[in-house]
Amino acid sequence: MAATGGFVEADNAEAIITRIEHKSRKIESLLKQLKPVEALKTALEGSPPMTRDERCKSANWIVVHRALMAIKDVDGMLSSLDPEYHDILMKYLYRGLSTGDRPTCDQCLRIHEKLTEKAGLGCILRSLADTVNTV
Amino acid sequence: MAAIAVHKFAQCITCHAWSPDLSMVAFCPNSNEVHIYKLLQDKWEKVHVLQKHDQIVSGIDWSARSNRIVTASHDRNSYVWNLEGSEWVPTLVILRLNRAALCVQWSPKENKFAVGSGAKTVCVCYYEQENNWWVSKLIRKRHDSSVTGVAWHPNNIFLATTSTDGKCRVFSTFIKGVDTKDSRTGPTSDSKFGEQIVQLDLSFSWAFGVKWSPSGNTLAYVGHNSMIYFVDDVGPSPLAQNVAFRDLPLRDVLFVSERMAIGVGFDCSPMVFAADDRGIWSFIRFLGERKVTSSGSTYGSQFSEAFGKLYGGQTKHGVSHDAVEPSRSRGGIHENCIKYLLYSAA
Repeated sequence: MAATGGFVEADNAEAIITRIEHKSRKIESLLKQLKPVEALKTALEGSPPMTRDERCKSANWIVVHRALMAIKDVDGMLSSLDPEYHDILMKYLYRGLSTGDRPTCDQCLRIHEKLTEKAGLGCILRSLADTVNTV
Repeated sequence: MAAIAVHKFAQCITCHAWSPDLSMVAFCPNSNEVHIYKLLQDKWEKVHVLQKHDQIVSGIDWSARSNRIVTASHDRNSYVWNLEGSEWVPTLVILRLNRAALCVQWSPKENKFAVGSGAKTVCVCYYEQENNWWVSKLIRKRHDSSVTGVAWHPNNIFLATTSTDGKCRVFSTFIKGVDTKDSRTGPTSDSKFGEQIVQLDLSFSWAFGVKWSPSGNTLAYVGHNSMIYFVDDVGPSPLAQNVAFRDLPLRDVLFVSERMAIGVGFDCSPMVFAADDRGIWSFIRFLGERKVTSSGSTYGSQFSEAFGKLYGGQTKHGVSHDAVEPSRSRGGIHENCIKYLLYSAA
């Protein structure tokens, strides 16, 4: 699909944030049901990459972060995650690693190792090379 | 399938081209010269040295029927070499560039050649019989950055270009007096020189090697984000397939047939891509042997060392660290990045 460069404007950002809040509630309920893998999938789904609004990106990051920290079985999570989510997960892992927060970095590094084994260096390349769709 | 023959010509080869009968190969050994080697009784002998450029030669193409060599260099010039007797005689082509020339290719009919440059322009050169010289026509518009690759469509008019602005564009290079209007091939309304037929904005990073399939129906180009793009129906509404793969990015691609292509790049081993019956492209396998390590991590020793330190001293088994200097060999023939791929099967 060719990128159209249609970036979301500020007024649409409100709609995105509402969607993210809705997603957040769904994720909390999934985590209570001890389904961290579904929670992460929900968090990664519909990530708003085509927006320059930092609030949308931060809001989605908080939601993804919550789901990431709840993952205990990394191998299990990766085996049930669709390959189409590998690239977006790698981007969020790098965002997590850049926070400098010890528990976040530990978790992100743990997942990074397994994800690289699974998806290869190409996945890292795609998350680094893509300066247009950032998370 | 392992390599048929391996020969080390030089420490580093910038670009190369085969002669029409495949007995000779011309390449630039990372200098301002072009060396031509001929295979004589199982040994490669240097038969010619073409010395005219002032800086590194970035592109060489050897035309199959007319037996001419065109070279393009960072010194902003291009020379067309004709074999007269036993000497290659150069003819300067004034490209009118103010930046380096990066790539060059003869058109299928060999009456034109295209040069991509760092000046964000593409030069299309043709021979003017009356004045006995090569004229350069520039496509100045559209490119936002260096043009890294050029590829001619079999109809001798459409030219695909890739650029470090991430886009692949197809232009018409119809030149009155050189090309004939063929009503069978495509819309004649787009026959103005430099007219952009389509712009493909699929890659979010630099785009490199571009090639048309033998029939011209499919266009393939590689991006620096470890992806290869296959486009059918190049026109107002193209059908693109983005194929992501595991490994390091490719630099060049080559169509072996309508449904099979080979990519080469930073992974030192050529990758085979093929289209199935539905026309869906995917990665098939590597060409040549690959050293497979036991723990499933398949990086070269250099990366394994780095990852070992990153993940807190966990050792990766099965990767040999014998070389004092970490080499990027993966059991394949090439030990460093492969930049170009040329078809040379008889």
